[in-house]
Amino acid sequence: MGEAKKKVLVVDDDQDDLKMISMILEPEGYEVVTAENGVEALKKVESEDPDLVLLDVMMPELDGFAACDKLKSSPESQGVPVVLLTGVAKQITKSKYPIDGVLRAQAEEYLEKPVDPEELLRVVASFLS
Amino acid sequence: MASTEKANCWEVMACDYGPGSSEPCPAALDVTSTGVNDGVNAGRICWTVPGTLCFGEPQGDFVDKQERCLACRFFLQVRDEEGQEFRFVKLAQGIRDTDILHARITQVESLMGIRDRLRARFNLDAVIAETTRQARILTQAQRSLVLLLRGRPPRLHGEFRMRGRAVQVEIPFDDSSAVGYAAVNDQTVNVRDPYQAPLQQDDVPFNQAFDEACHCRTDSLLAVPVHDSDGRVLGVITAANSTKGAFSQDDQWFMERYAVEVGLAVEKARLLQEATAAGRMASISESLAGLSHFLKDVAHALTGTSFIIRRAIDRGRMDDIKTAWEILDRHVKRLADLCKDVLTYDPERPDEICPGNLNATVADAVSLLQAEARTRAIDLATELRRGLNRWPHSKRGIYRCVVNLVVNSMDACLPSGGHVMVATDYRDGQAIIRVSDNGEGMDAESKEQVLETFRTGNKARGSGLGLPTVVDIVDRHGGRLEVDSEVGRGSTFTIYLPRAG
Repeated sequence: MGEAKKKVLVVDDDQDDLKMISMILEPEGYEVVTAENGVEALKKVESEDPDLVLLDVMMPELDGFAACDKLKSSPESQGVPVVLLTGVAKQITKSKYPIDGVLRAQAEEYLEKPVDPEELLRVVASFLS
Repeated sequence: MASTEKANCWEVMACDYGPGSSEPCPAALDVTSTGVNDGVNAGRICWTVPGTLCFGEPQGDFVDKQERCLACRFFLQVRDEEGQEFRFVKLAQGIRDTDILHARITQVESLMGIRDRLRARFNLDAVIAETTRQARILTQAQRSLVLLLRGRPPRLHGEFRMRGRAVQVEIPFDDSSAVGYAAVNDQTVNVRDPYQAPLQQDDVPFNQAFDEACHCRTDSLLAVPVHDSDGRVLGVITAANSTKGAFSQDDQWFMERYAVEVGLAVEKARLLQEATAAGRMASISESLAGLSHFLKDVAHALTGTSFIIRRAIDRGRMDDIKTAWEILDRHVKRLADLCKDVLTYDPERPDEICPGNLNATVADAVSLLQAEARTRAIDLATELRRGLNRWPHSKRGIYRCVVNLVVNSMDACLPSGGHVMVATDYRDGQAIIRVSDNGEGMDAESKEQVLETFRTGNKARGSGLGLPTVVDIVDRHGGRLEVDSEVGRGSTFTIYLPRAG
């Protein structure tokens, strides 16, 4: 191959979830870096320059929605695709009035928890292949 | 120096917290606001300063105090004195705030606050009261009403207060009124003078049915449908009679976003209410939101780890199997604990009071609510005193008491920095269970209501979720319940259980 590994930043406040998502992605040839909250995530995007961000919505400090918003409003990071992992995706995507255009327009994709690992890999591959 | 000809709030309101006093108010200390509306420090823009000492009591932030501020005579005085030059918010120098800009800033700030508040409500009446109040303030309407679809055939039901009396409103779910039209067509209606043709939205009918039901006349109306998470219409939020003459596009923008939050809150409260009414799994239904989050969490972990293990077997990666298995194990255990908890709840079985580990009962109840506490960023902690291993109590009853009290405490917590502490103790031959929070606390009236519930166990008008149940259970133990509360500092509920019931 000779090609550099694609780097995914996984952001979740739950250690088990973080470990699990990493273990799903790494054997498929992705490099995984992690962050435990939105504030840390913003820093990691800058220092690690990931190719994709997987962002949990329910987090203390800065939640996933707010973190996504910040990423998408900065010229340096707005090109990095963001996938939100959320328990409330249905509400947002089906609602006639999404909470501002922000949510619908800004994250590239939503995955609803419990997340199907096959689907997760498909979505990740669709951004990184 | 700014001109000091004009009076600052501490002068007009004649308080003792001005600059140079022994205990100056935050508004008197905010030097960065000097000159705004020609005031000294924040003396003429005090409504933007959190924690001001109005009426001798520390106030909240803008979202908390806005209703009081917007009606305050000093605020109105400044607005009148400044006229066109009036500054509602402090902006960076050089920006002149226009009406539209500051109305939008207020709405955005409030929307953020409201979302947090609504998410912290479990009780349908509380959700509706909060919704109505905020919709009215933020669209600057004279009236606001939330109408929800009920019954068969479905009709729109709402309730409002007129001269201190609750008035029920019922509107047909059809095109015969502007409000019905919004619900049936799942479409926002924003009209000015619905009695006059032509209307802005041509096919929207008069609002007569609504007005007759409400005993009033609508001059301008904003009606926005509210949806559940599947996109079905649950009802309509209305704001009527804009004080500006008509509802702006901004008002409509705000209400439509607000309706999404209201829909979520109403749905959550209803699920909880239905589950409680059905009387099934009563100890758990009170934390249905917590339960659903818990199950989602577990399902997420099981789906993920089982995938990892399956793939690791295919590829012969033992290390991955081991790590994933540990995660899987932890979650299977969580699930098993929950099942045990559900199974031990048997409504047919008499509620026996027998010696048992009181701390274990309390800890079980607290652990059920940890997930919910986490999603709401509330720190839920326990401090359990040893030596209560064989204290006579009904395991199921005390479990329900603790769940009830903790849910109430979490509801009282402010949107950030909430703490709920559950402690056990022993004194003078009695076991003590204490649930305290650092939430909004109760005013004299709410506290009186709670005490009334203690005295009468009145089931018809409980002051909170399940408090009558707690009273009932504690009574059967021959124990007693005490409450201590202070506005702005939080509340503490204490259960005393004697050794001999």
